[in-house]
Amino acid sequence: MTGDAPTKADRYVLRLFVTGSTNRSQRAIENMRKICEEHLAGRYDLEVIDVYQNPDATRDLQVVATPTLVKVLPEPLRRIIGDLSDRERVLAGLNIVPLGGGPETAS
Amino acid sequence: MTAPDDLNGADRRDQIALLEDRLREANETLDAIRNGEVDALVVDGPAGQVVYALENADRPYRVLVESMKEGAVTLTGDGMILYSNARFAELVGRPAERVVGASLFDFVRQQDLLERMLAAGGGGESAELLLLDANGETIPVNVSVVELEIEDGAGRVLCGIVTDLSQNYARAREVAEANARLAAEIVERAKAEESLAIALDAADMGSWDLILATGEMHRSFSHDAIFGRVAHAERWTLETTIAHFAPEDRDAVRAAFESAPRKGRLEFERRIIREGDGAVRWVFVKGRTFYGDRGAERVAGVVADVTDRRLIDEQLRQAQKMEAIGQLTGGIAHDFNNLLMIIGGSLEALSRGQSFDERTQKFLAAARSGVARGAKLNQQLLAFARRQDMQVEVISVNDLLPTFETLLDRAMGETVVVRVRPGPGVWRCKTDPNQLETAILNLAINARDAMTGGGMLTLTTANVAVSDETAARWETSPGDYVEVCLTDTGMGMDAELIARAFEPFFTTKDVGRGTGLGLSQVYGFAKQSGGFVAIESTLGQGSSVSIYLPRSDAPLAGPRAAAAAPAEAADGAILLVEDDAEVRAASSAMLEALGYTVRVAANGPEALASLARDPHVALVFSDVIMASGMSGIELRRRIKTLHPDMPVLLTSGYTAHLIPDIEGASPLLHKPYTLDALGEAVKQAMCEQEQAVAPPA
Repeated sequence: MTGDAPTKADRYVLRLFVTGSTNRSQRAIENMRKICEEHLAGRYDLEVIDVYQNPDATRDLQVVATPTLVKVLPEPLRRIIGDLSDRERVLAGLNIVPLGGGPETAS
Repeated sequence: MTAPDDLNGADRRDQIALLEDRLREANETLDAIRNGEVDALVVDGPAGQVVYALENADRPYRVLVESMKEGAVTLTGDGMILYSNARFAELVGRPAERVVGASLFDFVRQQDLLERMLAAGGGGESAELLLLDANGETIPVNVSVVELEIEDGAGRVLCGIVTDLSQNYARAREVAEANARLAAEIVERAKAEESLAIALDAADMGSWDLILATGEMHRSFSHDAIFGRVAHAERWTLETTIAHFAPEDRDAVRAAFESAPRKGRLEFERRIIREGDGAVRWVFVKGRTFYGDRGAERVAGVVADVTDRRLIDEQLRQAQKMEAIGQLTGGIAHDFNNLLMIIGGSLEALSRGQSFDERTQKFLAAARSGVARGAKLNQQLLAFARRQDMQVEVISVNDLLPTFETLLDRAMGETVVVRVRPGPGVWRCKTDPNQLETAILNLAINARDAMTGGGMLTLTTANVAVSDETAARWETSPGDYVEVCLTDTGMGMDAELIARAFEPFFTTKDVGRGTGLGLSQVYGFAKQSGGFVAIESTLGQGSSVSIYLPRSDAPLAGPRAAAAAPAEAADGAILLVEDDAEVRAASSAMLEALGYTVRVAANGPEALASLARDPHVALVFSDVIMASGMSGIELRRRIKTLHPDMPVLLTSGYTAHLIPDIEGASPLLHKPYTLDALGEAVKQAMCEQEQAVAPPA
């Protein structure tokens, strides 16, 4: 039980599901790292889960394919599939406004 | 659609937004899958979440499996190959497309074993099998099988890893071969060592191995035994060896060992004082030096006790010397006889029927006495040379002992006590009793001379069975012998003296006191009788000489026939056959002096020719050995065929070895002969012939 996580509405809890050490999985991990460092520095909690090693972890979050990034918090829960190379789509999915300004804003 | 009626407008908008999100997410997922942007799908199965890897998700593993040095296959439960990596296809020598779909059983020799492995599966079964490649060659491999976890209902799938063991096998084989070679060499070496040990043992040899660095010596058991050590000593050094040698030989032994590293070998024959019994023994030592990186390391070799061999060699040399001397002596005696014959015959012819003054008579007598002594000496020479006539008959030595005792008493004088001890039941033997008497007398005279201060002389007889060993030592045949032994209490002899005692002319007596032929006569007589002589003596403790005569089971000879009465008148012609002109002249003169008419012939053929011209002779008097080739014996045989009644008298210096076919009654006159002896012999020969020819009255 973490005490401060619920109070901070803007804290991100992210789960990235990958398959072993495939190229795509590695790209997904790398992309995610960059995005987190650039946009969510200091306010995210990322876990990378290998479905070969821990297939049951997919059940709760209803992951059907890998790689898949799941935004557990803040709600609503959101799944983004693929190697996360489409940064715009990822940011949109995460409800993050790009630092350089853009059409989308947080609701 | 009743429920939406209950919702307010805001709720509805939220609901719609959520559904839109869901729909977008689902579309995105579908797009991603469709576009191949995912690696795997996760499906919620009855037994939990199942991951289906897509496309190249397992590529790294495939690359790993394809590039590894082991063969890898996946199999169905009954052995059908579902997948084969390149290495396995390579191992079985076929393209991969032909391998997949085939049965693993097609490629394995030990079908039973494979079957058991597949049936067991799962637990990681592992076994060594032989793979068959396309050429029918076999490849040793290790196969391990594990069962792959596959979803239910899909049938069993097994995974096999095949490791090529050819190289391991080749290496193992090399090692095994090297081991086998080594083992064979060890066996070979052990065999060689064993046969060496057997050979050394059989040869009564010991082996030794000197480590130069330490001076330590490794020896065989028999080595120590030769040196007289019964218990095998733990430590034995070169010094131990040297200490065993006789003090006067030690320096030479040390020098031989010290020079061995330089010379590469050593060999010597020296005396040791044997441990235990203290006996002086001759040992032969031979060895060679073994060199290592730092020069000479070891000297190893053998040792043997050669005392017996030296003794036998010594005896052989002695026997050969005696034989050679015998030959020489015989030759000299023959010529000497002829010389005496000439001198004696001439003297007789000169002095016959004439009267001389006293002074001349004295010189003539001295000359005759000289001839007589020469003749006697010659008899002894001939006895040694074993060329004397043996009048061999079967006798009982014990019967002769009283005669011998009288003889010994007379010869010994008053200071020596004579004892005669006849053995019980002494066998008969075959010998010449007169020569036996001479032999005993010769021995007695030696004994007397050895007992200057008086003493005791004992004559004994005994039966002796001579063993093979003794017979070999004395160069005679084994069997039963009669021993006649004379023992004195005189000064005795040392070994050196004993060795030379039988040599003719060897004497320890002062010049003029002995001829050096006494023991030679004994030796020659015993040998000629088929026996031998043995001497035992210790310096200062007397001597014992034994004559061994072969046993005979023949009956005793009867008393000798008395000599026939001599014919009174000496007349008639005599044919004298003699190849030596001077002897012929001397003999002719003697016969004429006796009153006979003499015709002469220089050899056998000449004599036969003479007889053919005029057969009127009363007697043929012939030498036995003549240079022309026809012997007197042959001549006699021919005359007897032509003129059976003609008497033939033979004469010789030595004849024993030449006249085996002369009958006992055949007359033989010994050279040199006196006028009287000649006259007697001629008369007797004529008389005997008359008796043999004349019909009984």
